[in-house]
Amino acid sequence: MTVFLQSLLSGILVGGVYALIGIGLTIIFGVMRVINFAHGDLLMLGMYVTWGLFTLFGIDPYLSLLVTAPVLFLWGALLQKVFINRVLNALPQNQILLTIGLGLVMSNGVMLGFTSDYRILTTTYSSSSFQLFGLSVSQPLLYSFLVTVAITAALFWFLQTTDTGQAIRATAQDRDAAQLMGINVKRMSVLAFGLGTALAGTAGALLAPTYYIFPQVGGPFTLKAFVVVVLGGMGSIVGATLGGILIGVTESLSAVYVASGLKELVVYVLFLLILLFRPSGLLGKSRT
Amino acid sequence: MRALLPTLRAPRGFSAPAFLAYLAVIALVALVPQLSRKPLILHMWIMVFLAIAQGSAWNVVGGYAGQYSVGHAAYFGMGAYITMLLLELHQVAPWYGIAVAVAGSVLLSVIIGSITFRLRGPYFVLASIAMAEIIRLAALHFKDLTRGAEGILLSSIPPLETRWFTVRFLGKVPFFYATLGLAVIVISVNWLVQHTKLGYTFQAIREDQDAAHSLGINPTLHKNLALMISAAFTASAGGLFALYVRFVDPNIAFGIDVSVQMVLICIIGGIGTILGPVVGSVVLVLLSETLRNPKWLVQAGLLGDESPTVAFIEGRLSNAHVLFYGVLVVLVVLFAPDGFLGLLRTAVARVKRRLAARRSPPGQPAGAA
Repeated sequence: MTVFLQSLLSGILVGGVYALIGIGLTIIFGVMRVINFAHGDLLMLGMYVTWGLFTLFGIDPYLSLLVTAPVLFLWGALLQKVFINRVLNALPQNQILLTIGLGLVMSNGVMLGFTSDYRILTTTYSSSSFQLFGLSVSQPLLYSFLVTVAITAALFWFLQTTDTGQAIRATAQDRDAAQLMGINVKRMSVLAFGLGTALAGTAGALLAPTYYIFPQVGGPFTLKAFVVVVLGGMGSIVGATLGGILIGVTESLSAVYVASGLKELVVYVLFLLILLFRPSGLLGKSRT
Repeated sequence: MRALLPTLRAPRGFSAPAFLAYLAVIALVALVPQLSRKPLILHMWIMVFLAIAQGSAWNVVGGYAGQYSVGHAAYFGMGAYITMLLLELHQVAPWYGIAVAVAGSVLLSVIIGSITFRLRGPYFVLASIAMAEIIRLAALHFKDLTRGAEGILLSSIPPLETRWFTVRFLGKVPFFYATLGLAVIVISVNWLVQHTKLGYTFQAIREDQDAAHSLGINPTLHKNLALMISAAFTASAGGLFALYVRFVDPNIAFGIDVSVQMVLICIIGGIGTILGPVVGSVVLVLLSETLRNPKWLVQAGLLGDESPTVAFIEGRLSNAHVLFYGVLVVLVVLFAPDGFLGLLRTAVARVKRRLAARRSPPGQPAGAA
């Protein structure tokens, strides 16, 4: 029973970060209908920025979020303006290829600059943990989870109550209608891609203290982000949040009860089952 | 199903001069090892042939049937693994091994196809990636069967002995002819797909699946047929590749970059055309092999022994070939969505129009004839 609760708990904690990655992807998809295959590489950039700030200036990874997130936001906005904007009306295949290409450029650009060596960001609390009702809670995972919860809450507030947030949601619902209502759709697209990128970067920063950092780290996260988003329903933020937690728990439980080498395999099988039997996800698009 | 059977009369679109030119090019290329046996040069040719085989095989399902599979590593890896496992563990000669590998991969393609072809567009892309990843993770995990991440190292390839000749798989020449043969076959298959009824059904599905369905084409069946053809040749390329490099591991065989590269070859050359994958393979292989090992330029006599270019590439750019892939893809998608071949066609058309304009009397709009 302890083993079950323990792995359930760490699954939920990791799932929070997955949720953050998924929310970023789903916002981008919702507003632009573009599937971002470079999402994991944006996360990787977030990791490297965090690692750089930590090794150069000794800034704590959670504090450096204040730098990482805005930097990644600007980077995403730039990518949208220069590249993604040009293929908004192109075939979906070409959009996918463009983002794959951008991802390759980012990961290999970083590799050229920083070599493919594994970097580790070790904080004083990297391997320490709390004891809670007989369960051990990893400190960095817990902090990451709390930050995730705060950011998700702030994001909900932003999207639900502010004018800009509502404009973004309106663009996601119906681009043409939003434009007719006087919403600057182009600006919303730039904002949405920036926001999605910032979320991916934030997730990268939160993962940095517990993960190896290397240029190719993004690939598996891209795929996982898709699983999270499809599970929750493309474009649904609540769905992505639930999907993230669910994937985290699935991974963690199958690592214990199936085999640690097969935890991702189980996730992909789950993904295929969802695609086949409930393609609109657990929560459909309508609840965006 | 009549289109599947060989017909005696020449299929539509057949032109004798073009066919003779094709044969002449093959004959010329086949002479290469007789003229020069510099290993790095032959290596370049072999890599180009393998890339053509993979790209053209993907083109059948991706280019003609319009199903953007980004999971073709599953068939490539299956071809490589079955061939290597049979040879190394059970001493089955590779020419039988590749036949078994092809059969296995076609079977796999039927399974994968019947699952993923229920989905369309981006969902199909994602499902195809997930399938290849599932197989890669399984190959990493089930060590008893595949030796896991350790991979399989080939000790030796038995000689092929027939009544008339004996082929020893030493050096690169046998692989030159084997891969050339495969490339020629797959290019011919692309030609058939473009010009026969079966191929027309693929193209109809690509243009509008629902319209094709309403005309009596069974989309699932025909998409699966396209995938089976594609998988068979992808697996052959995988088997030959593994024999050539004498090593295979889950990431080399099933890695997502294998799948992506097949798509890139077609995109960069020109998707859904016969020559597109050929052009794309030449561009990509020249680029990546030059950056990885620029010494071939010296062997080709293009650069001197002490050339600073070689030193520069080896020192600075040896890891950058994927970066260049990425830049190339971004440029192609943004500025030349029909690939290099499309660029060439537009350029030719422009020159023709200029010439026509020059010939037509002034005052008339160019190309008005």
